[in-house]
Amino acid sequence: MGFLAPWFLGGLVALGVPVFVHLLRRHVTTPRPVSSLMFFERGTQSSTRHRRLRYLLLFALRFALLLLIVLAFANPFVRRVSADANSRLLFIVLDNSFSMRAGTRFADAKQQALATLAAKPHSQKAQIMAFGGQLEVLTQPIIDEAQLRAALESIQPGDGHASFGELGRDLRTMSESSRSPADLHLFSDMQHSAMASNFADMVMPANIKLVLHSSAQSTAPANWTIESVDAPAELSDPKDPKRSRVEAVIVGFNTPATTKTVSLVINGKVVASRKVDIPANGRATVDFAPLDVGYGFNRCEVRIEGGDAFPSDDASLFAVRRSDPERVLFVHAAGDNRSAVYFGAALDAAAHSSFVLQSVAAEQATDLDPSRFAFVVVSDAPVLPSIFEHALAAYVAKGGSVLIALGTSAAHHERIPLWGSNARDPRDYARSSGAATVGQVDFSYPALEQAEPGRDNGGWAEVKVLYAVPVDPAQSRITARLTDSTPLLLEKQVGEGRILLFTSGFDNLTNDLPLHPIFVAFVDRTARYLAGSERLSGSRPVDAFVPLRAAATPVGISGNVEVIDPDGRRPLSLGEARTIQSFRLQRAGFYQIRFANGRDAVIGVNPDRRESDLAPMSQDLLDLWSGSSGGGQEAALAPSNERQTQPLSLWWYVMLLALLAAMTETGLASRYMSTLREEP
Amino acid sequence: MQRFLDPEVLAGISSLDLLAKTVVDGFVAGLHRSPDFGFSQEFAEYRAYTPGDDLRHVDWNLFARTERCYLKRYRGETNSQLTVLLDASNSMQYTSGPPTKMDYARYIAASLFYLAIRNQRDAAGLIVFDDEVREYIRPSTRPGQLARLFAGLEQAEARARTDFAKPLEHFQNFLHRRGIAILISDFYENPETIIDTVAPLRFHGHEVVLFHVLDPQEIRPAMKGSMLLVDLETDQRIEVVPEYTKTTYRVKVDAHIEELRSRALGAGMDYQLLVTNQPLDAALREYLTLRQAGN
Repeated sequence: MGFLAPWFLGGLVALGVPVFVHLLRRHVTTPRPVSSLMFFERGTQSSTRHRRLRYLLLFALRFALLLLIVLAFANPFVRRVSADANSRLLFIVLDNSFSMRAGTRFADAKQQALATLAAKPHSQKAQIMAFGGQLEVLTQPIIDEAQLRAALESIQPGDGHASFGELGRDLRTMSESSRSPADLHLFSDMQHSAMASNFADMVMPANIKLVLHSSAQSTAPANWTIESVDAPAELSDPKDPKRSRVEAVIVGFNTPATTKTVSLVINGKVVASRKVDIPANGRATVDFAPLDVGYGFNRCEVRIEGGDAFPSDDASLFAVRRSDPERVLFVHAAGDNRSAVYFGAALDAAAHSSFVLQSVAAEQATDLDPSRFAFVVVSDAPVLPSIFEHALAAYVAKGGSVLIALGTSAAHHERIPLWGSNARDPRDYARSSGAATVGQVDFSYPALEQAEPGRDNGGWAEVKVLYAVPVDPAQSRITARLTDSTPLLLEKQVGEGRILLFTSGFDNLTNDLPLHPIFVAFVDRTARYLAGSERLSGSRPVDAFVPLRAAATPVGISGNVEVIDPDGRRPLSLGEARTIQSFRLQRAGFYQIRFANGRDAVIGVNPDRRESDLAPMSQDLLDLWSGSSGGGQEAALAPSNERQTQPLSLWWYVMLLALLAAMTETGLASRYMSTLREEP
Repeated sequence: MQRFLDPEVLAGISSLDLLAKTVVDGFVAGLHRSPDFGFSQEFAEYRAYTPGDDLRHVDWNLFARTERCYLKRYRGETNSQLTVLLDASNSMQYTSGPPTKMDYARYIAASLFYLAIRNQRDAAGLIVFDDEVREYIRPSTRPGQLARLFAGLEQAEARARTDFAKPLEHFQNFLHRRGIAILISDFYENPETIIDTVAPLRFHGHEVVLFHVLDPQEIRPAMKGSMLLVDLETDQRIEVVPEYTKTTYRVKVDAHIEELRSRALGAGMDYQLLVTNQPLDAALREYLTLRQAGN
């Protein structure tokens, strides 16, 4: 026990007041004359003594009152044992990423987590989290051990990729809302590949003490896995030697040189096997050609036979959709034949495309049904037949895609079909400054996607634009700009479909893009993007998101979506099926999806291949991580067992007693000191 | 002089009828109905005329109506003798606020003198005593008697202790004619002793009235703390606490007053407790009413 404000104890001097008044003060009596003392007895002296004795209770109360008031100001406190220890929140984070499937890692980690949960003080709050592809909070901070244990037991190994950087960021976000101290026990295989590129991302906030529990061996077991599979998502001609092939890269982690058998499985049947020599800790490529698949969606798999320490990552899934070549409608102005030639040539040259271009003049497009085409290109045709334009608008609203290229005709017609806004004054760079070049390119945009664009702006820097038509970019995404900030390529979402607007032409009069190699890549990616074939098959990593419907579409306008997971179950409720816009692919396997625009897709989902590298973090790194997070690892080894104390102020209780003493003193004093009232 | 003759006091007393309680030794007790009518004669009876009767008493109106001669008889009026015995001991000095008991006693005595001499035409006398007789003024109806009595009251100062025996013995030696004796005192003495001392007056045929003058603080003392009480007569000191005065003291005082009252009435005397905070006229009126009720 102590005092939070001991200097107030100086007020104890005031205790001398009741001592003086009751015990030390000389009892002074005022002589008062009376007519006679015949009615007063000598015994009155003892009455005074009796009164003084009786007043001792009053004295005691006054003494206690002053003492309690002084104590209340001094703010006494007691140290309550284990109050602080129990007030520390206990986070139990169990790693259920894909790598935890290796050996007994997950079972060991869960066992350790259960033991830690059982060892916590009964009154300590704990919170259970699963950490795979993302941090999942399974319980609120509670003390119900049965509920916590049930939550811990319910965690199953997943297929996600753990990232300690993500873990640190999530916990820093959580600590912004609650600054209470906590102990975080992480049960993981401490995979080295889960480390963040920036170590600072992994550091826990100051109020969280990190305790690491590794369930992995110090040395990583030998593991082979399929690093990548290069296969066409769409295939129209199985005999095409360029496209009808599957190329898989086999990689070994901590492995000796060996020979492995790799098989290609299509729809559950092994159609080809290859033996491949894999160097120690190296890579090898396996090629399967031709890829003979039937029409429709084919569920394919490249598999390493023989098994290893981590058999779960020995297969890679992908889906191939075989169909007839899709037609592309190219609507152009009557006098413009060059655009169709350049665009068709680029489309044919594209390796992955399976499109047949159908070119038609704008005036002849009246009776055409756009829904029969993969997408429609409107090149320098500012005036379309109204019936066709109406059909084209309906086609876009239902999920179709249109690429509009503006040419020199825009100088005479401000209106841009389907786009919704008019063209401004065209910019004829040939007459003013010679030529404009492409200044900004969004390489994350699917039609312009490049993994590592070079210094030449991904090949776009060489393109000279002589004529461009500025447009109002409202409600559209600008993906490329000229050097004078004039938008070159814009995308607008309309209903379930999309419209791309190229503010120059596809001929070689308004720019020299068709003459550059980048044009072929641009047309290829644009065609795949607009046709949507990229979304309908192929493979995705776990935790990737699949857009199911356009974001701008009001609820109820578009149809329901449908998702069937690898187990054949529908993870979406009916309500979600009406409103959900994107879906996270949480598990490895084949997902069957029906989009809001009615198109079906089969997607093979594979775990992140970084999970296959089972090498754990070095002990130095682990020490550095735990030591830099909230306090030393040693100090936090058994936080649940330490008994800390917390000062508990007794101010309220003392004041309550003082109030009680004051009330009693008032009652007694009024009783003793009151004079008897004369009867009227 | 003027302070004794407070017109309000006199007016209050004159508004009441005084009926003499008894008629002693052939003296006619006067009945005072109203000061407006002065001396009044109360009709008693008619008696047939007999030779030798005074013709002044014949009711000639009745004779004129009936031709019968009757005498109209009245109740006789006689002069009484009032003697006030005023206690002038030290205890009469006590006061909790003006007036002192001594002053209050003076007011009562003066009022009674005035009433007796001016209205009743009675002889009035005064004996001022403590443990000795300090002043003695013989009862008389002579002119200037009232002034002498007032002067005697003025000169009466409280001192020494109370002793009823000596003044009463003196009183018995000088007063042979029966009358009304009013003893004004605070009676701090044993009631039995007081009555035994005063009783011989009653035996001589005097009408004895005890006026017990007390201060309100003597009946219901209010004390906020313990006090050292000093006896005004003996200078004895006693420390007293409020609790005692609230309980035992009051019981004792009440018992003393009640015993004195009962013993006085038992001895054929009248007793009246007068508290100094009561108005003078109220005190006298209360007494006179008491006498009237006693008849």
